[in-house]
Amino acid sequence: MSEEKINNIGYLGVDVGSVSTNLVILDIDNKVVASVYRRTQGQPIQAVQRGLEELKDKLEADINILGVGTTGSARYLTGVIVGADTVKNEITAHAVAASHVAPNVRTVLEIGGQDSKIILLNDGVVVDFAMNTVCAAGTGSFLDHQSARLGIPIDQFGGHALKAKEGAQIAGRCSVFAESDMVHKQQVGYALEEIIFGLCQALVRNYLNNLAKGKDILNPIVFQGGVAANSGMKRAFEEGLNMEIIIPDHFNVMGAIGSALLAKETMMLDDRPTNFKGFDASLIDYKTSSFGCNGCENSCEIIKIQVEDEVLAKWGGRCGKWEVDQIHAQHVYKV
Amino acid sequence: MTQLGAEVVVSNPTSKKTVNTGTVFADNELCLPVKVFYGHLMDLKERVDAIFVPRIVSVVKKEYTCPKFLGLPDMSRALEDDMPEIIDTTINMQEGWRQYMKSVLELGSRFSSSRMKVMGAYKNGVTALRDYHHHMLSGKTPIELLEKKNFSAQKPRLKVGIAGHPYNIYDQYISMNLIKRLKGMGVDVVTAEMIPDSVIELENSRLPKKLFWTYEKEVVGTVYHWANNKSVDGIIYVLSFACGPDSLVQVLLEHELRKNNNVPMMPLVIDEHSAEAGLITRVEAFVDMIGRKKESLVC
Repeated sequence: MSEEKINNIGYLGVDVGSVSTNLVILDIDNKVVASVYRRTQGQPIQAVQRGLEELKDKLEADINILGVGTTGSARYLTGVIVGADTVKNEITAHAVAASHVAPNVRTVLEIGGQDSKIILLNDGVVVDFAMNTVCAAGTGSFLDHQSARLGIPIDQFGGHALKAKEGAQIAGRCSVFAESDMVHKQQVGYALEEIIFGLCQALVRNYLNNLAKGKDILNPIVFQGGVAANSGMKRAFEEGLNMEIIIPDHFNVMGAIGSALLAKETMMLDDRPTNFKGFDASLIDYKTSSFGCNGCENSCEIIKIQVEDEVLAKWGGRCGKWEVDQIHAQHVYKV
Repeated sequence: MTQLGAEVVVSNPTSKKTVNTGTVFADNELCLPVKVFYGHLMDLKERVDAIFVPRIVSVVKKEYTCPKFLGLPDMSRALEDDMPEIIDTTINMQEGWRQYMKSVLELGSRFSSSRMKVMGAYKNGVTALRDYHHHMLSGKTPIELLEKKNFSAQKPRLKVGIAGHPYNIYDQYISMNLIKRLKGMGVDVVTAEMIPDSVIELENSRLPKKLFWTYEKEVVGTVYHWANNKSVDGIIYVLSFACGPDSLVQVLLEHELRKNNNVPMMPLVIDEHSAEAGLITRVEAFVDMIGRKKESLVC
């Protein structure tokens, strides 16, 4: 292969979560060639399609995509849209990405829009993990909500928190109570900085008491996910754990990076052409619809994705009878 | 009961309707299995003359079943004013075999006046139960036995032990098809029912204090066994939200596994709100984790 050709190949990773949609292209040396971080705004298909366009515009030269991976809560849907070679859960994707940026990483703290995770690794292998269960208190969307309520843009939230000498005591157990606590502290005259930092501390306390309960948190620690942008959260973690926290350069697209790495791994093992539909997948008019199945008393809701009259995928039933094809990580998607 | 001339109706498999109905009737504090049980009662209510809800106090001497099991007949009667008759035969091994056999005969006397016939039916029932246990010991799950299907994983690359109460892990709706899902991912599944009682007893003898909940004892013995002989690549512990004994046992198990530090265990808490997506993500991540560990695939 000529030098030029090697430079022009890469792997695409797409991470579609509840709040953000991230796309990354890695070159053959696993370096980030281009990345996109945008809000999902409840419309995953559009977010992926606009993200693909944006990514294409950022590329300086044409690139030959050899493999595509998807992850995040919309990973199956996105897999159909872009033509994924591997569809993997976000825990694995984040772990793979973290150990790529910090090969000896022992602890990954990840806080996203609606979920948070802790992943423990040893020699690059995941040994334990936990994910928040029924409650989303202490995740990105709550911080978003509070930034809107206080009228401070979310990207300035961390700066305010760093100015505080100490944080105000705020209950972090439940986001509803945290909010009423914050309102109360405002009314009695605490400085805004103290309240914002107090909120960061409360979220960190909640995280450590729930997810990290009983787990050995060892150095090096990587903090990633959208919330890692908040320097107040980094400070609160460092003070809470009394340990140093590493925030990787591409902290907010780590899921997509992991997904691209997984795509590379799959393609290396499988030796087959990619299913990638090309950047023009952004032009295809995908339609999704849902209907209730009356087959049994479970009345499952079935999701259908189609282009014109052709049904690409269906899922959602408990019994699996609607699945056009069993959707699996190794599954080959074809239009 | 069939042999004694009764027509036996079994409630339908758990569905969304079962859970929804049960939740409406249940006090919010109750655990998911009791809510599901209520749903099943309501499913039977209009179709039968009586519902058999034995009062299972103790099945092994000096041990008890779950505290809620003791009250099930009373809770069933109180569900609605027009409940059918509840047959609440007491099973209490604390009172010994004589009392147990008395309960069996008393139950049988409802259907037949002949003690011979009752004893015959009882013996056949016990034989059938033994056969069932025997099949499970050979590695079959109740789902496979009841559906008379074999859905073994094709060339399994991993082996996962599922710990938890049978009414959670074998209920395909409640467990969200966990067993079938794992087998579909190429994972071999083993459960407590495949381990002989003697092994479970032996593992439990290592506890400083004897557990007096029979069903929790099974979970503990199973997990200890897997952790000690390392016969599985990972353990998924299914527990129901708001189950008191489960929450205590979870901590006990985590302590033991941390000491051994070898077999990973993932607790999977289920309740009536559990969304399938969250379960799938966790199970997929867990299988990835143990798979990559086994193949020493550095991330």
